[in-house]
Amino acid sequence: MNRFGYYKARDTGDAVAAAAAHAARAQFIAGGTNVVDYMKLDVLQPDRLVDINVLAKDVHGRIDVTSEGLHLGALVRMAEAQDHPDIKRDYPVIAESLMLAASQQIRNMASLGGNILQKTRCQYFRETSWPCNKRQPGSGCSALEGINREHAVLGTSPACIATYHGDFAQALIALDAIVSTAGPNGNRQIPFGQLHRLPGDTPEVETVLEPGELITSIDVPAGPHTRRSHYLKIRDRQSYQFAVASVAVALDLDGDRVRDVRLALGGVATVPWRSGEAEAVIRGNILDERLAAKAAEAAFAGAEPRQYNKFKVPAGKAAIVRALLEAKAMRI
Amino acid sequence: MQRDVSDLQSSEASEISAGMPFIPFASAPAGGASETEAVELSINGENYRLTLDPRTSLLDAIRDHAGLTGTKKGCDHGQCGACTVHVAGQRVLSCMTLAVMAQGEAVTTIEGLASPEGKLHPVQQAFIDNDGLQCGYCTPGQIMSAVACINEGHANDDDEIREFMSGNLCRCAAYPNIVAAVRQAKAEMERA
Amino acid sequence: MLQPAAPEPRQNQGQPAPRIDGRLKVTGEAPYAADIPLNNFAHAVLVTSPISHGEVTWMDFSEAKAVSGVLDIVTYGDMSGVKAPKYSNSTSTSLAPLHQKTIVHDGQIVALVVADTFEAASQAASLVRMTYAEQPASATLDSPGTETIPAAGVSPMYPEDLKAGDFEAAFASAPVQIDAEYATAPETHNPIELFSTTCAWTHDQLTVYEPTQNVYGFKAEIAKQLQLDPKNVRVVSPYVGGAFGSKGPMTPRTAIVAVAARRLNRPVRCVVTRMQGFTTTTFRAETKHRLRLGASRDGKFLAFSHEGTELTSRIDNYVVGGVDTTSRMYAYGAVASKVELVKADRQTPGYMRSPPETPYMFPLESAIDELAYKLDMDPVELRRLNDTHKDPISGKPYSSRSLMECYDEAAKAFGWSNRVKAPGSMRDGDWMIGWGCATAVYPTHVGAATARVRLSADGTADVQSASHEIGTGIRTVAAQMAAERLGLDITAVQCEMGDSDHPPAPVAGGSNSTASVCSTVLKACEGIRRRLFEAAVRSNDGPLVGKPIADLDLKNGEVVAKDGRSQKLSDVFKILGAGMVEEYAEFVPEGAPADAVHSLYTGKSTFVGGSHGKKLMYAFGAEFVEVRINARTREIRVPRMVGAFAAGRIMNTRTARSQLMGGMIWGMSSALLEETQVDPRNARYVNRELQDYLVPVNADIADVEVILVPEVDDEVNPAGIKGLGELGNVGTNAAIANAIFHATGKRIRHLPIRLEHLLEN
Repeated sequence: MNRFGYYKARDTGDAVAAAAAHAARAQFIAGGTNVVDYMKLDVLQPDRLVDINVLAKDVHGRIDVTSEGLHLGALVRMAEAQDHPDIKRDYPVIAESLMLAASQQIRNMASLGGNILQKTRCQYFRETSWPCNKRQPGSGCSALEGINREHAVLGTSPACIATYHGDFAQALIALDAIVSTAGPNGNRQIPFGQLHRLPGDTPEVETVLEPGELITSIDVPAGPHTRRSHYLKIRDRQSYQFAVASVAVALDLDGDRVRDVRLALGGVATVPWRSGEAEAVIRGNILDERLAAKAAEAAFAGAEPRQYNKFKVPAGKAAIVRALLEAKAMRI
Repeated sequence: MQRDVSDLQSSEASEISAGMPFIPFASAPAGGASETEAVELSINGENYRLTLDPRTSLLDAIRDHAGLTGTKKGCDHGQCGACTVHVAGQRVLSCMTLAVMAQGEAVTTIEGLASPEGKLHPVQQAFIDNDGLQCGYCTPGQIMSAVACINEGHANDDDEIREFMSGNLCRCAAYPNIVAAVRQAKAEMERA
Repeated sequence: MLQPAAPEPRQNQGQPAPRIDGRLKVTGEAPYAADIPLNNFAHAVLVTSPISHGEVTWMDFSEAKAVSGVLDIVTYGDMSGVKAPKYSNSTSTSLAPLHQKTIVHDGQIVALVVADTFEAASQAASLVRMTYAEQPASATLDSPGTETIPAAGVSPMYPEDLKAGDFEAAFASAPVQIDAEYATAPETHNPIELFSTTCAWTHDQLTVYEPTQNVYGFKAEIAKQLQLDPKNVRVVSPYVGGAFGSKGPMTPRTAIVAVAARRLNRPVRCVVTRMQGFTTTTFRAETKHRLRLGASRDGKFLAFSHEGTELTSRIDNYVVGGVDTTSRMYAYGAVASKVELVKADRQTPGYMRSPPETPYMFPLESAIDELAYKLDMDPVELRRLNDTHKDPISGKPYSSRSLMECYDEAAKAFGWSNRVKAPGSMRDGDWMIGWGCATAVYPTHVGAATARVRLSADGTADVQSASHEIGTGIRTVAAQMAAERLGLDITAVQCEMGDSDHPPAPVAGGSNSTASVCSTVLKACEGIRRRLFEAAVRSNDGPLVGKPIADLDLKNGEVVAKDGRSQKLSDVFKILGAGMVEEYAEFVPEGAPADAVHSLYTGKSTFVGGSHGKKLMYAFGAEFVEVRINARTREIRVPRMVGAFAAGRIMNTRTARSQLMGGMIWGMSSALLEETQVDPRNARYVNRELQDYLVPVNADIADVEVILVPEVDDEVNPAGIKGLGELGNVGTNAAIANAIFHATGKRIRHLPIRLEHLLEN
C-alpha cells in the first residue's frame, strides 16, 4: 500500500471539494471493504483518501419508502437495507440481493453507494503481476485465454472479460433506479443503466462518473412490479461467494399473463446487465416453463463464452427459468 | 480508565524468551517516526493513544500496537472473518478497517467479552461446551460474530444461524458445533 | 438435527472431557506463534517471483530502500554460510531459493524486505524491481515438457509397485469388468492461521517462533541449514492455527528470516500473505488414475489393478503412492499396481490430510459403486462380499478390522434401506436427491515418543511432551491419560506442548500423536505409580505396608488397595520425603528401530504400523451422504452425512467426534469445492485467495452424524489407540460422487464436481 493523506470530510460539499483538489488521485472511502482491499493489493493507489462516513449522519444515511418509491441514501449500510421491513415487503429483490451478498460483517460495513461501484474480483486484475487492461491499460487481458471460469459471457470485449460481481446492482438496474450524484460540476441524476460502462477498448473506465463525483443517493421508482420481485443467486457454496450466475426479476402479472417484466443478470456480464431481449419475449405473454426457456435463450443469444465459462450459458439460462417461475409463484 | 500505550515496544511488551537482546526503542531507526500520526482508539473500554502509520489497519493496530493478539489475521482481505471485532456494537472486519477511521468509536475485541472477574460470556462458554472449535484460530472471530449474530436477532433457527455465521471460515470445520453453541448461548442470553 | 458434541462413551471409549485449553482458545489468550510478544521486533514481507521457470536477470532495490522505515533486504548473495536443505520429511523442498537465481516454481521467494512496520515492509516489497528471463513452464500432468518417471524406488515413501497373482489373466477372464479413469485436483491446505516465522537471536542462540507440527524436526533442520549446534536452537509453537500437513516440513522461509534477524541483531517477524502461502509452502498434488476391477457375476472380486499418476516438482520426488492402501482393501484375487510421477514446473508438493488415501480411495470407492450398479447389487453388500481380514498381497492378517460393523451402524442411522435404487428416482420438489456411500480407511501409525510427567504432593500433575496442538485436542487426551493413571481429576493436570525444550514427540502427522503421546504418558505414569506404591508398601508404618503392589491403584488423590484400605497421596509423598515425583519416559513401539528415541532427539520421527509390521494396522469407517441437486441450476448441496468409525480405544468421544466430523466436511470439500487452479500457459496459480479457493462455509453444512463404533485392539500399541484425525475425510469424496450418480445418472470421475459438470448444454 502506498502512502496517502487521510481526510475526514465534514459534509458532501466538503467531500467533493477535498476530492477535487486531488483530481484523479483522490479516492472516497466509506465502509472500506473494497477500497482498503484494493489498496492493500496495490491496485488502487490514491494520494488522498476522503472519508465520507459523516454523510451517513445526514440525509445520505436515510431510507425512505413513499408512494413514489424507495429512496436510499448512499451511506446506508447493506445490512440496514436488507433488514428493512418495507424494503423486504415492497422491494424484495433489493433485500434479497443485499442479503445474499458477502457476509454480515461486510454488509455491516459496506455502503450502498460503494457497493454499486465495487470492482471486479477477477484474479488477473487483483494480482498485480498479471497483465490486465483494466488495471494497466494496454498490457493485455490474461483472462481471455486463461482460467476464466468466473468470467463474463455477456458485454465482453477483446480487451476485458472481467465480471461485474455485485448483486445489488442487478436489482437496481432491473427496477430502473436513478442514481444521484454530487460532483465538482454540480449535482446530477443518472439512470442506473447508464452508470456503468461496457469495457470496450477502455476497460479501465468503469463508470460515467467524473473524478471527484460522489454517489449521494439511489431512487427506485414504485410500480406494480416491485412486490413480485426476486433475486436468485447460483453459486458453488451456499453462502459467502460471488455469483456464478444470478437473476433479478420483477413481474407485474395479470393471472398468468405478464403485464410487465424487468430482468437483469449477474455473474455472467461485465457490467450490471438488463436483458431487454428476455423481457421482450415475456412481456404480454403467458408465463410458463416454455416461455421462460424462450426468454432465457434470448437473453444469452449474444453470449461469447470462453474455454472455462461455457457453462455460464446453460447455467444462466436455467437460472432465468427458475427465477421467473419462482417469482411467478410468489405470494404477495 | 485511561492507559497510554505508545507502541508495543513500550512497557506493555513482555519478553517471552530469556536472554532476548533488548534494543531500546530509541536506538531503532527513526525513519518512520515523522510519518506517523497520533491515533486514539477505545478498545474494550480502555483508551489507547497510539502512534501509527496512517495505513495501519484496525487489525494490526489492535494486535501489534495495542498488544491484543486475540484478534486474528487469516487473510487480511475480508475473506475469512478471523479478524471480526465489534465497532460501535456491530460486527465488522478489522482487516478492512483503517485504524484512523475507527477513532471515536467503541471497539470490542475477544479480550473484552468476559467479565472483569473472568466469568466467560455465554457464547464463550457455549463454544467450550459444544466443542465449537478445534485449532482455535478462527474462534475469537467466530465468537465475536456469534455474539453479534444473537444481538442482531439473526439466530432464530439453525438455518438462520448457519447463514449468518457464514462469514467466518473454520478450516477445521467445527460448523455443526458452532451452530449448537450459538443456539445454547442465545437461550442463555435470553434468560439473563 | 444437531448431534450432541459429547457422545456417550461406549465400550473402550473414554470420557468426553471438555478441552483443557478451551478457555484459552475462547478468550483469545492461547498464544499462536505470531501472537507471542517480543521486544522491538521488525516486520518482514516476502517478495516472490511472478514466473514459474527462468532466471532473475536484474534487481533494483533503490525504490524499496527509499521507503521510510526499511531496515534491510535479504536476497541473493546474503545466504552465505547457510546450507541448502536436503529434501526429507522435515523439509518441504531441496530448494534454497536465495542461493541461486534460478526460478523453479511460481511465487518463489526472491527477497525478504524488513522494516520497522508492516506497512513500510509491504510497500517496499511492492517496490522491489526484478526482471526475469522467463522460460516455458510445464503446468500440470498433461502439459508439454513434463517428464514422467516410475515412482518405485525414487522415494523412501514408495519402494515398489505391489503385485499378487496374474492380474492380466484374471481380469481378461472376469465376466464383469470396470475399466475407468479418474482424476483429482491440486489442493492447498489453507489453515486459517497464516504461515509465519519469527526469529530472535541471543548471541549464537536462536529462538524460532513458527507454527509447526514438528518442533524437533524444525530445530534439527534450522540448525543444519544455519550450521548451528542444535542445542543453541529452540523452536516454540505452543498453539497451531490449523495445519493439515502444511506445517509438518520446514519451508525455505525459516532460514531466510533467521538470517535477517541475525543481520539486524533484532527479532524479525514474517507473516506470509494468504496469496504467498499458496506458493511458498507445499500443496496436495493433482493425480490421475486408471482403475480396473474384474468380478464374477455374483460380485466376487477376481482382479484389481490401480495405476496412479502424481505430479511432483522438477527438483524433488514427492510421492504418496496410495496403491499401498487400495491394493490391500478387499479380497481381490489378483492385484497389480503402478505409480508414476510427472515432473512439472511447480513447487514440491507435500503432505495434506490423508495424503495417499484421499486421492487414491476416490477411484476405488467410485469403481466399486460402478460395479454395484453393473451387477445390480447393493454397494454395501458388494463390499461385505469382498471384505477381508487378511492382506491380499502378503497374506498378513489385520490386527483388527471393523469395516462391516461400521457399515451396518452407519447404514442403519442413515436409513439406507429406504433408498430407491434407480438413479434419478428420488426427488423433493425441484431438488434431485441422491444417496451414496464409501469406505474410509487410514493406516494406524505409532512412533517413538518421550514425555515427562510430574505429580506433586498437592495432587496436581504436569505433563510435558513436545507434541503439537493443531486442533486435535492432544493436550486434553494426554491429560486424560495422566489423570486416569494418576487417579486425578483432569482439571488437576496441566499439559505443556509445542516447545523443543520439552522431551521430544513425533511430528504431528500420519495421525500418530494420540497413540504415541498417550503411550508414553502411560509409561511415565506407570513409573510414578510404581514409586508411590513401593514407598507406601515399604514404609515403616501406614495402612498399606506389606500389600502386594499389584493390589494398589491411584484413585481420587489416594493410593487404594483392593481391600479398600487407602493412604492419602500427601502422606505417601511424606514417606518419600519429596514434594514432587517426576518420571521421564521413552516409549518405543514394537518393531521400531532401537535408536528410535535417539532419532527423535535429532529431529526424525520413526513410525511403525500400517502395512509394514507383522500385522496390518488400519482404522476403518463407512460414510453415507445425501446430496441434493437443483433440477434446473444444478448446484450441489450436502444436507446430510453419517459416518461410523472404528479406531480402537477412543480417548475422548468429544474430541474424536469433532475430528471425524471435521474430516467428513473436509471430504465433502474435496469432492465439491477445492481446486487450486493452475494457469496452463505459465504454471502459475490463479485462485490464490479464499474468495476463489473455496472451502465450506457454515451454511454448506447441516446434519453431520458421527458414530464411534466400539473396537478393542491391544496389538496396535500399549494404549490400544488408532489415530483418527485423517480417517474421516477418506472416502467422502467417493460417497458424494456416488450419490451424485444416484441423483442424476451422471458418473463424474474427476474432482471437484461442480454444477457445470451436471448441466445439460
